Amino acid sequence: MLSSARCPCILFAAAILWSMSFAGDAVAADKVVITFANWAAAEATTKPAIDQVIAEFEKTHPDIQIKSEAISFSEIARQLALRVKSGNPPDVAQLAGNDTFVVAATGKLEPLGPYLSADFKSQLKPDAISGLQYQDKLIALPWTLAPAGFWYNKAVMAKAGLDPEKPPKTIEQLTAAMAAIRKSQPDVIPLAIDTTNRPFALQSNWPWMATFGATPLAGSKGRADSPEMKRYLTWMRDLAKNGYIDPGRKIGEFRPLAAQDKVAFIWDQVLLQGVIQSVNKMPDADFYRHWGVTVEPTGPSGKSYSFEGGHQLVMFADSAQKKAAWTFIQYLAASPEAIKTYTLGPGSSLPPLNAAPNPELAAKLATPIYKSFTATIIPTLTTPPFGPAFATGSSAIMAGVQQAVTGSEPIDQIASSIQQQLDRQ
Amino acid sequence: MMTRAAALPARKIARRDTGKLPWLDPMVTPSLGVLAIVVGYPIVYTLVLSVQDYNLLSAEQARFVGAGNYGRLLSDPIFWKALGNTAIYTFGSVAVSALLGLALALLTENLGGRRGRLTRALLLTPWAVPFVVVAFLFRYMYLQNGGAINALLLGAGVVSAPVSWLNVSTLAMPAVMVTNIWAMTPFFVLVLSAALAGIPNEVIESARVDRARTLSMIFHIKLPFLRNALLISSLLMIIGNFNDFAKIWAMTQGGPGYSTTTLVIYVYRQAFENFAFGYASAIGVVWLLLLLAFAIAYLRALRMD
Repeated sequence: MLSSARCPCILFAAAILWSMSFAGDAVAADKVVITFANWAAAEATTKPAIDQVIAEFEKTHPDIQIKSEAISFSEIARQLALRVKSGNPPDVAQLAGNDTFVVAATGKLEPLGPYLSADFKSQLKPDAISGLQYQDKLIALPWTLAPAGFWYNKAVMAKAGLDPEKPPKTIEQLTAAMAAIRKSQPDVIPLAIDTTNRPFALQSNWPWMATFGATPLAGSKGRADSPEMKRYLTWMRDLAKNGYIDPGRKIGEFRPLAAQDKVAFIWDQVLLQGVIQSVNKMPDADFYRHWGVTVEPTGPSGKSYSFEGGHQLVMFADSAQKKAAWTFIQYLAASPEAIKTYTLGPGSSLPPLNAAPNPELAAKLATPIYKSFTATIIPTLTTPPFGPAFATGSSAIMAGVQQAVTGSEPIDQIASSIQQQLDRQ
Repeated sequence: MMTRAAALPARKIARRDTGKLPWLDPMVTPSLGVLAIVVGYPIVYTLVLSVQDYNLLSAEQARFVGAGNYGRLLSDPIFWKALGNTAIYTFGSVAVSALLGLALALLTENLGGRRGRLTRALLLTPWAVPFVVVAFLFRYMYLQNGGAINALLLGAGVVSAPVSWLNVSTLAMPAVMVTNIWAMTPFFVLVLSAALAGIPNEVIESARVDRARTLSMIFHIKLPFLRNALLISSLLMIIGNFNDFAKIWAMTQGGPGYSTTTLVIYVYRQAFENFAFGYASAIGVVWLLLLLAFAIAYLRALRMD
């Protein structure tokens, strides 16, 4: 029971809290509040940078307040789909890969084409926005570009008697190089490639399938039981049989091994440099002597391909503050502050712009690795048929890839089993 | 204190009075209300969804398909594979863990003093480790390159090349089961040790007087006393393993191929990767019915006890 002495104190405290809540509302009423769902704030390596970018944005845009909502990378698409369904999506969200198109399939993403001025559009790399169309509408703005490249460890190649300045250009050359590496350094994984069963793994393997001429998913044209797909599956099986790949690992699990020279070739994004250097503390100059990156070796199609693993920004159609949301999206993607603090910082990726916005950033982007990505790898980008069918199909296709890599079932049988599952879906 | 003779008429009176009791005690309505919301509503909603074609990403309204999702289940080879995997994983893990737990409980039964306490504490340690940690621990131990298990086997000359434990279709399920058995055995040790301690001394002593040998003592005296404890703990673990998601997902995500895909993994993929909530709910209903059967068996076993 409350004593009579304590009662007035509690009432007084409640009155103060009540008046404070009004004061808070008064401050908020002057500002437009934008909710921003992202995983950058959920990860320890990127949180300080994104917090700093948001603080800088709020300083230069005092009329806009950003409410950052941290959601993990693996959960964000699911949570956004559920939030769209229940009618409370955020204003802006960070998405990547197939997730962008999965959320777009809800029909609740605001088309960004009308917001894109001709001047701003001319600043963006055409390859960066061409793959972000859904039903002929631009549904996302590229925030960071992170295409995959064929990284080669020059030190490991030299030890195997290979020319470290001549990475393999074809699948045949790659196979020969892997054999030499396996023979000279049995403790080194010749090729690091993601063979897990998740949509990202299919996205990562898509360029390898493409170089064999295989398109297991593309509406009625795509076939998982095509001769090209069987050739790709056979190649993957040979890689595993010869011990050239380490199946079942996520690409992230290969990165620390790459930093220890336990990986010869790795199919990975631009962020690999940052991870390797954070592990082995290698200075930039040494890194460029040690590692190089180039386009994917060509298969029977005679073409190299890559996938875009960068992050995008989307705006939701239900947002009541679309103008402010677009201002924030533009700031994140193209402002020199955001590029310096986040994109080139812990984001370890490329800005989606044709040219650096200032000389300081131009100097930062003039490294051999960034130059390789910009000049040679980005033009090889291919966009898989993203969307809900890609998410559904990825499970069947990657399970088939795993069966080819780890089992002994005939390839024909595996390919037709994948196709049957795709047909059922 | 009430004697046995006095207790009997009291029980008879209580039984006679149950006929006059109201069918619903108002005191339990709040609990029933909470249960209806947290248990009843999801079950009913799952049943409703299971007869609909409902995809979370679709802008269209859910469509009634009757038994369509259940018909699709029957012709879905992955569902049957997942069901078979669930049975192998659940019953295999529980059977081996129960046997190991029984053996360890019998071995440590007479250990006393500090040594006994230390041994029991060590035996129970795996039970204290969170399942996700156990899964990642074993995942790294199983690695083909740099895994402790391969290093040990190569060092001892048991294998000539590293084995890809989690990436060979035929080895992945046994490897995941070993992890599960390691994590689950302490539970059986705990339950069966307690049950062993509960065997009346008179029974043991009279068997000794009759010069019963160790094996005879175990099979004819101790095991009959442990029967109910074994049955109840096994049923509990069967229910627990039927729902086991964390270990399998953290170790293999149901792969390679579908070799470790269990029902819970399949439901997860259907619901949260394919967003096919209608079909996932149909699988969920089948799963619920199977669990219900185990739960009924468990309740009957409890009544027997």
